[in-house]
Amino acid sequence: MKNELTLVNLKEGENAEITNICAGWMATKRLADLGLTPKTKIKVLRKTVMQGPIEIEVRGTRLALGRGLASKVLVKLV
Amino acid sequence: MMKKTLNIVLAGQANVGKSVIFNYLTGLHQHIGNWPGKTVGKAEGTLHYKGYTIDVLDLPGIYSLTTYSLEEIISRDFIALQKPDFVVNVLDATHLERNLLFTLQLLELERPMVLCLNMFNLLKEKGIEVDIEELQKTLGIPIVPTIAIQGKGITKVLDEGIELIEKKKTTKPLEYGKEVEEKINQLTKVLTDIDFAYPKRWLAIKLLEKDKIVEKLCAEKNPQILEKARDLCLELEKIHGHDSSIVVADERCHLCSKIIRRVIKVVRPRQISFAEKLDFITSHRIWGYPVMVAILGLMFLVIFNFGNWSSSQLGKIIFGWQAKWESAFGASVWSSLSWSAIQSALALVEIALPYIIPFYFLLFLLEDWGYLARVACLMDSFMHKVGVHGKASICLMLGFGCNVPACLSCRIMETQRERLITGFLATFIPCSAVTVIILGLVGKYVGMAWAFGLYLLVILTVFVLGKLTTTVLPGEPTELIMEMPDYKTPNLKTIIFQTFFRLKEFIFIAGPLVIISGILIRGVYLLGWLSKLANLLSPITVKWLGLPAICGVLLIFGILRKELILVMLASLLGTTKFFEVLTPVQMITLSVVSMFYIPCVATIATLRREFGWQKALTISLVKILFAITLAGLISKLLSTTL
Repeated sequence: MKNELTLVNLKEGENAEITNICAGWMATKRLADLGLTPKTKIKVLRKTVMQGPIEIEVRGTRLALGRGLASKVLVKLV
Repeated sequence: MMKKTLNIVLAGQANVGKSVIFNYLTGLHQHIGNWPGKTVGKAEGTLHYKGYTIDVLDLPGIYSLTTYSLEEIISRDFIALQKPDFVVNVLDATHLERNLLFTLQLLELERPMVLCLNMFNLLKEKGIEVDIEELQKTLGIPIVPTIAIQGKGITKVLDEGIELIEKKKTTKPLEYGKEVEEKINQLTKVLTDIDFAYPKRWLAIKLLEKDKIVEKLCAEKNPQILEKARDLCLELEKIHGHDSSIVVADERCHLCSKIIRRVIKVVRPRQISFAEKLDFITSHRIWGYPVMVAILGLMFLVIFNFGNWSSSQLGKIIFGWQAKWESAFGASVWSSLSWSAIQSALALVEIALPYIIPFYFLLFLLEDWGYLARVACLMDSFMHKVGVHGKASICLMLGFGCNVPACLSCRIMETQRERLITGFLATFIPCSAVTVIILGLVGKYVGMAWAFGLYLLVILTVFVLGKLTTTVLPGEPTELIMEMPDYKTPNLKTIIFQTFFRLKEFIFIAGPLVIISGILIRGVYLLGWLSKLANLLSPITVKWLGLPAICGVLLIFGILRKELILVMLASLLGTTKFFEVLTPVQMITLSVVSMFYIPCVATIATLRREFGWQKALTISLVKILFAITLAGLISKLLSTTL
């Protein structure tokens, strides 16, 4: 796929849908347990300075994800 | 025969008010310890209700029952293997969807279960309604709305649970989508004739999720099960294009969303609440930092002012007790040794009351309010440069109060590797006792700017050593995944409870060691070996560090408790006007050594408990070498420039 967007590329306030998660088994499972699976809709609430975590809203809950992990969550804008 | 003793467990995710319910049920009749052989906290308690003796076990707050962390394995094994009479699943009603994900996993374990829909009162504020009857029908288990902090609904939870037992009602797991369900059935059939302690359907689901522990368990019984499971996983992956573990997780998510759509009604559009406005400022990418500095600064200011005041009050009370003791029991060796035991015990009170209690209280206040999660988030990028993620900043903050709770709190880190790194770094944080030295010596006689400089040195040290240890220790860093709780009004009772239990823990760990080593050092003193030891150390203290020989004695006492360094300095030199006997460079050198040279005995004991003797002693040794090298260099550098 070209032009692949990740969570990191999104701007504050943007809505997106997860297309895939390209992390290790553990991290992928962890995210899935928190409700982050393909086709899940998310919204970026806040990005922090200096490569800090990204805060998203997913299934009515707010999660902070480390930047490295967020870069492994592929998304498309909706 | 009806069973009169019940075993129940509380299960739920973090921040749902589970511990509030646990405290309400068991009050002070609780026992907090460790799971056998594991460094995971275990909280148990007992209560009597309607003729039953009920043993309550509070499972660690977790996200899922997949093998992610030790806590999760312990929890699922306890529910599946110990078979508690019923499970109380505590949910945050305002975050129902994510909480239900966990509930579905609990249901898979097929124990009788009561759902406790906590924080029910907050739904109205959010403009949401939950159709409890519909939810009850869908899940097939009793559901009780509760407001834990007001104690509302909690006895109803017990009533429902007891009814489940008396009517022998069972819990059925929910059905997932057709494709997945079909695979589960095929696997369950393979498992039928084999004896397992776990529910068969649960095993089948876990096999589809490629759970390593379950795979191993099944392979031991019959390797063919695994082959079959792999085939089925492949089939699922072919259809969905994702790893089968994701497919299963997705099934749960899907089912959850479906349930949520049926039971949740938004009656009023969301308004921006005060809590959200507060959140906007406190987690702001720029403003968040000054706000954090202000909040934490204020916290430390309050603690040290209160600490100074109350420790001087305590000092006044205790003053003269030693003379009274000696006049009552004479000045014999035994009297002297037993006095040193009492003195050590008193010293624990002197540090616990003025510093540790207010520190814990304020910290738990910030936690209960919801602010600590913001700190972890704000600090994440900085902590990543050190090599650990943002949650470690909470452990390090605890270290400013006392290194003992700081090392204990490392359990919030996910992997053993990160726990060790964080614990190691936490011992470099100047605790309240060390702060007394820094402020009392350098702050008072050399200047506040220098004292501040020493704190910068701490930050630099943590940074450099963190970088170093994360490079040296094998393993990958874990990324931050953390739920951001909503701000809520802190509950005084919860905070007091937590402070109390943490204090108890501190006294149990630190107490015996502080007293024993107090007696030991007094013995060495009575034998007249102290000055010999000081002479023995003089190549280091005098030659390398440029300190008076007497400081060797101080550093030995400092192992007991760091603030003794200042107390002993005054009594050995016979003056509190330190500037008459020490040069500014010597004061700074002494402070640097005191800050870093060895964890106090209580901290060593904690390190041993968390990481074992070998690591505890290694950390101590590394610290001694580091402190002596650094302080010597600083001393030489300052002597030539000042």
